[in-house]
Amino acid sequence: MQFKHITCPQCGLLCDDLDVNVDDQDVTLNNNSHPVCQQFFVDAKLTDKSTLQPRIKGKPCTLEEAVAHAAKLHTAAKQSIISGLITDVQACRSAFALAEKTHSVIDHANGQSMRASTAIMQRYGEVRTTLAEARNRADCIVLFGAEILTKFPRLRERILQPAETLSGSTERKIIVIDVVENADLSADKEIEFFHLSLPNLEAAIQQLQYLASPRASVETAIEPAIRLIHQQISASNYAVLTWTASLFAKNTAEQTLQNLTFFIKESMKTQRCVGLPLGGSRGEITANQVSTWQTGFPLPVAFSSGAPEHNPVIYNAETMLANSEADLLTWISTYSPDDTPKQYAKANIVIGHPNMQCDQTADVFIPVGIPGIDQRGLACRTDAVATLPLHSIRKNDLPSADHVLNLIFQAL
Amino acid sequence: MAIKLVGAQIYDPMHQIDGKKMDIGIDQEQICNADALAPDCESIDVSDCIIMAGAIDLHTHIGGGKVNIARTMMIEDHQAHIHHGDHQCRAGSGHAVPSTFTAGYRYAEMGYTAGFEPAVLPVNARQAHMEMADTPMIDKGGYVLLGNDDFLLQMMRDGASQSAINDYVAWVLNASQCIGIKVVNAGGVHAFKFNQRRLDVDEVSTASGVTPRQIVNVLSRAVYELGVTHPLHVHASNLGVPGNFETTIATMGAAEGVPIHLTHIQFHSYGTEGDMKFSSAACEIAEAINKNKNVTADVGQIMFGQTVTTSGDTMMQYYGHEHGSPKKWTVMDIECEMGCGVVPFRYRDKSFVNALQWSIGLEIFLQVNDPWRVFLTTDHPNGAPFTSYPHLIKLLMNRSFRNDHLGNLHPEAQRMSNLASMDREYSLYEIAVMTRAAPAKILGLADQGHLAAGATANITVYRKQDDIEKMFAHPAYVFKNGTMIVKDGKIIETVKGVTHVVKPEYDKSIEKSLRTYFDKFQTISLDNFKISNDEMEECIGSQVVEHPCTKP
Repeated sequence: MQFKHITCPQCGLLCDDLDVNVDDQDVTLNNNSHPVCQQFFVDAKLTDKSTLQPRIKGKPCTLEEAVAHAAKLHTAAKQSIISGLITDVQACRSAFALAEKTHSVIDHANGQSMRASTAIMQRYGEVRTTLAEARNRADCIVLFGAEILTKFPRLRERILQPAETLSGSTERKIIVIDVVENADLSADKEIEFFHLSLPNLEAAIQQLQYLASPRASVETAIEPAIRLIHQQISASNYAVLTWTASLFAKNTAEQTLQNLTFFIKESMKTQRCVGLPLGGSRGEITANQVSTWQTGFPLPVAFSSGAPEHNPVIYNAETMLANSEADLLTWISTYSPDDTPKQYAKANIVIGHPNMQCDQTADVFIPVGIPGIDQRGLACRTDAVATLPLHSIRKNDLPSADHVLNLIFQAL
Repeated sequence: MAIKLVGAQIYDPMHQIDGKKMDIGIDQEQICNADALAPDCESIDVSDCIIMAGAIDLHTHIGGGKVNIARTMMIEDHQAHIHHGDHQCRAGSGHAVPSTFTAGYRYAEMGYTAGFEPAVLPVNARQAHMEMADTPMIDKGGYVLLGNDDFLLQMMRDGASQSAINDYVAWVLNASQCIGIKVVNAGGVHAFKFNQRRLDVDEVSTASGVTPRQIVNVLSRAVYELGVTHPLHVHASNLGVPGNFETTIATMGAAEGVPIHLTHIQFHSYGTEGDMKFSSAACEIAEAINKNKNVTADVGQIMFGQTVTTSGDTMMQYYGHEHGSPKKWTVMDIECEMGCGVVPFRYRDKSFVNALQWSIGLEIFLQVNDPWRVFLTTDHPNGAPFTSYPHLIKLLMNRSFRNDHLGNLHPEAQRMSNLASMDREYSLYEIAVMTRAAPAKILGLADQGHLAAGATANITVYRKQDDIEKMFAHPAYVFKNGTMIVKDGKIIETVKGVTHVVKPEYDKSIEKSLRTYFDKFQTISLDNFKISNDEMEECIGSQVVEHPCTKP
């Protein structure tokens, strides 16, 4: 059976122009699209239905038994963490209900890489744009790091170099800066690639921010390419600065994002200049949005007292697991079989992609349907504005993660 | 279940009932004739109470991306206001812009049974509806934003017919599951993307080639001709600018006699008199409302204290950001449709401007003669959080209380205000008009806002007391669709509420040009842009209730 306008949740762009063929449990992407979208559908293929059964310590069981065991683990836990959250809105909603009931800490698998961006929004606010604005209005787009193009493979086709724009012109400067040489981009006639002789991207951003600040002086040593890029931004009508926080060193990411924000806000005094941060490739924008509207706080949230508390230092799931501060981990991950937990607690419940393998590590493993293939769902795009529907295109008996979480909730 | 509420004074302006002692019957989800109920049905003695229909807030920012940005930026406010859950209620946080569950509970505790989000971006409609679906206790609905979207502006530039524009407007209402159309700084938000920093009502935008007046004109006409009950909901140009009352009056004129609703009009009622070049033009605005019967307005009263302003008006949010407190601000361009700006504000009674803003809002309330055409709002959270409504009602109902407050304000603001000379005190009947009957009427909610047999049993019972603020803050009982949800000001049962929508008919051929537009320029496919009823119920989590459109 053929389906059109299918959404791929495999990266934050949430491309929804895919044609997919479904033949029983086999799903194939028909478009000649990029491997990242392709991988989502390849991973979804179900070959061995016997693996679709829930398991307790690797032994097949019924869903009821798995839920009862999961509830038992929750009852016994002194400190539980609910993480992963690589899933859709519905499952996130249910995960928050469970977290509140079990006084858990809840965080996303990529929680740590979201912290800097959240902190900047909390402290200063930002100037941002969305994908369609960038696609149609930008006359100058600066990408901080060549890797953005590989992380978001359809960015060029969909945003940077569209066939047509509302302005009627497709003429624009696309500038990529990096501190690593890139032969492909250097040879690319449609992109201006600047190989900087600076130690890292953060230094480049710091220099750019300095040029826009009122204290900038001509004497200061600035990489010539940065001066040139600054001139090009200043000369443009709608400049878009694009980055992905995961390319910045974790310990200085906040400072780097602050520099970007200060640069954009200073530029805004006289011209239009906006940021287009990219992220959300593991559903972190979705999880963070649900967290913010349901609890009033971005991730992470701790319900230790029963009420939400936001403290990204104390309640960072990664650190808590590393320090054995939690005795139960509930991991929810429905998009890729490879997104298994990277750290474990004493007891572990995995509500996962049907092709996930974690018999060795999970006390309870419950395979669930994939939102966008087996179940309808909703996901938030990288710009945190567009919310896309995920479609149900395949029939099988897999329960949804949302349903399983609700069953555990009710069993408590 | 059947319940009889016995002996209360009833305020039901839809049926001209002004304090008469009557019994109210509830049968399942509806109000019924109390005499028709079985004699042994549950009976509650409410003889020391007054009864009104459940209150309806027709302008409250409770859902969508901008609200989440505001929640994130208001971290201090959220950390200072943590709300525990219990066996009924979910936990949450925030005072100025609370989390969704908390917002629902606070509304219900004040006797509100419906709230309408006035700034739904088409592309963000799913999220707005999800947030509202997670706002329990009350019914919801949204006004979808047009008038800064490239599709409409291009249609206008190309000389599209009014009927083609009507088809587009109807299509957007259907696709976004909303009940009304809102325009924010018509054309100005679009112009700001081209670095235009101001756009007056008769100024041709260099970016779009049309004027705000033209946009308001075609949209108000479209809403009217489609038979959508709620008039075009207009956030006028030049918000916050001294002297903007002229723009506001010109905007009223742009509707050319068809119904138009001017929202948070307090922010658009400023003159330029006095040494500070900032003065009240409440008198001129009230006079214009009194004169033009096609005009309605909600006030957007400010209250003193910390809040956050969240608006689609990027142009004017950027203009005002330097006055924000604490000093942080967000501005965002969105999907060739709209934008949003979030700026925290702390309104201070010792600030001349803030004190005069407070006074201007009250002056408008007191000078608009017809309570059916002026609505009680604080433009939550922009003027103040909605939880300040009981205080606002007291300010309207009690002249000495009002004047006591006025006496504490910045002395120059007191001197510039006519408030002290205004004798009017709102009656309970008038409060029932502006918070129940009139919002239901202007939204086309035929079965709400009144207490006749057959109405949805959304009922608020207030125990009479001298302090009107306390009375309105803590009703004795609140019923939502016949279920008692609040007793003695506390939630006793949680319910979900529904989403009210309109689905005007239109010529489906408009989708041909829309499909071309989406394919060429947008980053979502047209098919995924549209929200179906079953997606609303199955995924978003709210049942849709459709209200009829009646073409003129």
